[in-house]
Amino acid sequence: MDRNMSHEETNPDSIQISRRKMMGVVVGVINLGLIASVVGPVIGFAAAPLGQKRKQQWIALMDEKLIGPGEVKEVTYSLKIVDGYHEVEQMYTVYLRRGTDDVICIDPTCTHLGCRVKYQTEHHKFVCPCHGGVFDDEGNNKSGPPPKPLERHPVKIEGGKVWISRDV
Amino acid sequence: MPPGVGWWQTLGNLIMTLLIFQFVTGFALAMYYSPSPEAAHASVRHITYDVTLGSFIRGLHAWGSSVIVFVVALHTMRVFFWGSYKKPREVTWLAGVVIFQIVLGFSFTGYLLPWDQRAYWATVVGTRIAATVPLIGHQLLVFIRGGEEVGALTLTRFFSFHVMLLPASLMAFMLAHLFLVRKHHIAGPVEPQKGPPVPFYPNQLFKDAIVLLVGVGLLIYLAIAFPPALEAVANPTGTDFSPRPEWYFLGLYELLKIMPPGWEVVAAVIIPTTVTIGMILLPWLDRSRSRHPAKRQWVIFSGIAVILLIGLMTLKGILETPPEHKAASTEAVAGKQTP
Ligand code: HEM
Ligand code: FES
Repeated sequence: MDRNMSHEETNPDSIQISRRKMMGVVVGVINLGLIASVVGPVIGFAAAPLGQKRKQQWIALMDEKLIGPGEVKEVTYSLKIVDGYHEVEQMYTVYLRRGTDDVICIDPTCTHLGCRVKYQTEHHKFVCPCHGGVFDDEGNNKSGPPPKPLERHPVKIEGGKVWISRDV
Repeated sequence: MPPGVGWWQTLGNLIMTLLIFQFVTGFALAMYYSPSPEAAHASVRHITYDVTLGSFIRGLHAWGSSVIVFVVALHTMRVFFWGSYKKPREVTWLAGVVIFQIVLGFSFTGYLLPWDQRAYWATVVGTRIAATVPLIGHQLLVFIRGGEEVGALTLTRFFSFHVMLLPASLMAFMLAHLFLVRKHHIAGPVEPQKGPPVPFYPNQLFKDAIVLLVGVGLLIYLAIAFPPALEAVANPTGTDFSPRPEWYFLGLYELLKIMPPGWEVVAAVIIPTTVTIGMILLPWLDRSRSRHPAKRQWVIFSGIAVILLIGLMTLKGILETPPEHKAASTEAVAGKQTP
């Protein structure tokens, strides 16, 4: 606009036009500002869960004696969690497997798209009902779409009980 | 109107009518519905079994979403094969593509609201698709769910989209679409027929009315003959529930099934995004002057390929639906499935 100034100054009409243009630009900027002043905070507000911090917690599951060597057990436990605006008692399921000496804890969340796998005792494998993923009894992916083994939770045995640790 | 406009041009009107039905029944449902994990299932149970005409209103709304998706797909194909997206109707087509996406958004968010096993697990799997996106997948997942897991904030989020953002955007794009259709008139047959323009009234209006009668009649029949079911309340513990999406997402679900491990992002994101971008760019990709299918063979060919892919995958999904689940979707049974 500057470049044309001298030329325009000689012509009252074009001063008029550049004034109009200028005001149009200012209105546009104000409008953008208005939009940004509401959309920006709303996006920040909606994205709040991204800032959520989770921390590890140990949970006592059951008596150590209840699971024998080579056995796989489905264990359900309850946990107080903060679910958005309220605290709830949430039930979760995990699988415990005792090898020759150690105990591992396998999370049933399928590593494909998150359905819950089911253990088939007679076949010694976990099967996912969604897209037919199959894992062996240690949770290693054997066939179907799952890209990696089932996740494990850290386990410790203390005071005769099996403890697992998970993010809460 | 140009001569040669006929039955195929009645679908838009049917969609609009069905959408109005959706607005009205949705407004009614929202009076009794409560979007919290404690109350959602109970409130939908209340709607379905206690409130006068509740099962019917909910049936209209739930079946309405299926019928709309079906008719929107038909309407889109009609416009595609007629080549009606060509100049000067590019923006009309564009608004249509956005409306298509909004309708799918409605269905995806609405499906969670009853908070039963079906709703919960379909959303667990459906939202997990976002996590297949490289780099930002996890953030995207947490943003969509409102947390690491599907919970109270997922429900309020989906509710807010379902009854606020999506209706408002749908309204805007629908008005734009209708305005543009009126402005540019309807395109008529692919090769203009001879003869003077024909009036909308009474012949086309009559065809429209017949189609509305059949479409809405079918909807009412479905709502009464197959009342909406409600399964057991959402249970995150369950290892014995086999989730399945609505029929119109089955194609995607089957596509996910056949992807080799590690390639799910192709089925989940790349293919649907490519198809959508293709649809958006269609009027500019297809530059041929003529609207005749024979004059734009590769466009027609790609279109048919996409339609066949979606159709076959959906068919595969329907055929592979375990029988137990067919029972579960028509009767109100608790969510116990054999794996
Ligand atoms: C202004 C518009 C709308 C409002 C206010 C609205 C409101 C609601 C409410 C309150 C529910 C929960 C009650 C229930 O689950 O039965 C619901 C469910 C649902 N909505 Fe909407 N809705 C609207 C439009 C739509 C549209 C356009 C579609 C689809 C294209 C749709 C698809 C669904 C679906 C699939 C469900 C789950 C139905 C079920 O399983 O019972 N809604 N809607
Ligand atoms: S979610 Fe388990 S195989 Fe797809």
